[in-house]
Amino acid sequence: MKTPNPYIPTKALLRTIFKMSEDNYLFQFTVEPGTIGRCMPGQFLEVWIPGVGECPISVCSDSMDGLIELCVHRTGRVTDALFKMEEGDWLGLRGPYGTGYPVEKMEGNNIILVAGGLGIAPIRSLLQYILHRRERFGDLIIAYGMRHSLDLLFRHEMTSLYSRNDMHLFIGAEEVDFPEIPPIHAQLGRVTDMLRMAQFDGTYLAAVCGPPVMYPFVIRELKEGGITENNIFLSLERHMKCAIGKCGHCFVGGVYACKEGPVFPLEDLRFIPEVVECVNC
Amino acid sequence: MEKSYVLSKEDFPRFLERLKQFGTVYAPTKVSEQSFAFKAVEREEEIAFEALRTILPPKKFLYPQRETLFSYDESGNITEPEVNQPLVIFGAHPCDLSGMKVLDDIFTAPPGDSLYIERRKHILVVGQSCIPDKYCFCESMGTDSVKDGYDLFLTDIEDHFFVEVATPKAAELFNECDFLIQASEPYKQAFKDFWHNRKDLFSNRFETSNLPALLDLEANHPVWEELGQKCLSCGNCTFVCPTCYCFDIVEIANFNGSGQRGREWDSCQFHGFAKVAGNFNFRPGPVDRLKFWYRHKLHGFQDAYEFPTCVGCGRCTVSCPAEIDDIVGVVVRLEGKDDRKSIYAKEPVL
Repeated sequence: MKTPNPYIPTKALLRTIFKMSEDNYLFQFTVEPGTIGRCMPGQFLEVWIPGVGECPISVCSDSMDGLIELCVHRTGRVTDALFKMEEGDWLGLRGPYGTGYPVEKMEGNNIILVAGGLGIAPIRSLLQYILHRRERFGDLIIAYGMRHSLDLLFRHEMTSLYSRNDMHLFIGAEEVDFPEIPPIHAQLGRVTDMLRMAQFDGTYLAAVCGPPVMYPFVIRELKEGGITENNIFLSLERHMKCAIGKCGHCFVGGVYACKEGPVFPLEDLRFIPEVVECVNC
Repeated sequence: MEKSYVLSKEDFPRFLERLKQFGTVYAPTKVSEQSFAFKAVEREEEIAFEALRTILPPKKFLYPQRETLFSYDESGNITEPEVNQPLVIFGAHPCDLSGMKVLDDIFTAPPGDSLYIERRKHILVVGQSCIPDKYCFCESMGTDSVKDGYDLFLTDIEDHFFVEVATPKAAELFNECDFLIQASEPYKQAFKDFWHNRKDLFSNRFETSNLPALLDLEANHPVWEELGQKCLSCGNCTFVCPTCYCFDIVEIANFNGSGQRGREWDSCQFHGFAKVAGNFNFRPGPVDRLKFWYRHKLHGFQDAYEFPTCVGCGRCTVSCPAEIDDIVGVVVRLEGKDDRKSIYAKEPVL
């Protein structure tokens, strides 16, 4: 039997575009049934814009209904072209790739979700997964930090999360503009300050996603709070070009982040060179 | 060995004719005073049997420097490239064959790379024995002989080649030919002697049998800083390496909306290789990148593939313009046995 060409994407229809902030849009896609399988929290897709190129983007929803949601930051050639597209246009998607967050291991436990900036995108898919099955998880804390309060993503969702009494939400920004519309209690401070406010202990499992510079500080807080390295799960930022463990761009120490990751338990990263500087603070 | 034969060197043209029935034959040819390259050959005289290491390894046939992954037209209809051109790689040495096996493992690991797998099916590989020079260290890497990964293997025993026919593909091609004669006892002895004596010919070697531990232990050894500071980040070492397989995926667009997705060899020694969005670079300096490459080659990414990816061919050593790819020299230094003279040290001119 002939091996299928793994680089060929599936045609996806761009259904809706939500402008969440100046440089962060939420894109909703649909694909033919059976082409792209169920995307688990923490997994990613390769987005291909014909004539421009391809880039890896994390799925940001618990896509049970066939709708694929990607939260994209305009940062390079491909994302720039994506921001110029219109509803009804088509592009290519392939995936999902990677292992994602260990949702089965997380069940039955208290959970703390830590997001920095655009890191909220994969964390949101995990959050939705948990909220869809709320009874299977213990206490839930979200700590979400950003540079400026105008960078807040999923504003309306965050507002409604504040009114839930089965979770604790801490949102912080290094710079805060008042008044907020709709009102969001973004506090002045970094994500680490949010962690210090949150009441968690060693019974929690932590899922972290954010810019690499954030990790050493977040890890220190989580460890000081009593969470052990095997219960801290980090999503690592790498540029997955092929996403199938061939091209070598996403190598982290001994493994491909696109296949074995991008989510790793901290204990597996301890002896890997490159991430140690980032991780072992 | 039932499938061992002898081929008189006088009969080589007939052997070559039979190979040409399979497809275009690529063999080492002399391209300059000191260098050899795999090129298409028609006649025996074109083949440089003495060639030890070609500039590029035969990986260029399995995995070309540039290739199309798929093409698309203006409406987005996709066509896949045809990669079923039959060809023969003649004169691949044990290091090259080991390199091809590494590529096989990487590109066939699920999900398989369809282009590589398809192309590989149409390649016939003829291995050939060799005598090491001062740069060869395949013996230290355990790749000085191979038990598979070829269709035929020719061992040079003076005026004959001892021919091992290893696959049904090769057996079918050489079905009913009178120039391959069942190997008799004296030839078998000559074959055994060749491989017995060859072991003693390696001058470039290291002793350690635990490379991964050595690399882990000496991750912060001063040799990395010292060599990395001299590195030009040119990527030569990766392109000439029989096992370096990293690539970049590129878009080749036309004005009318059609185009191609392609791939090109890439190098972990280039500045932007480990760059991610927002301009974070996980290996910003030449020291980081050189150390990464050495680690990949010698530690072998044991977690991902459980084998080292250096085959000891010496191509990087020979082609490095900064003279820092003396792999054996580095290993010896990591071992704390610094008395070895650099392989780049020039012989005194009289």
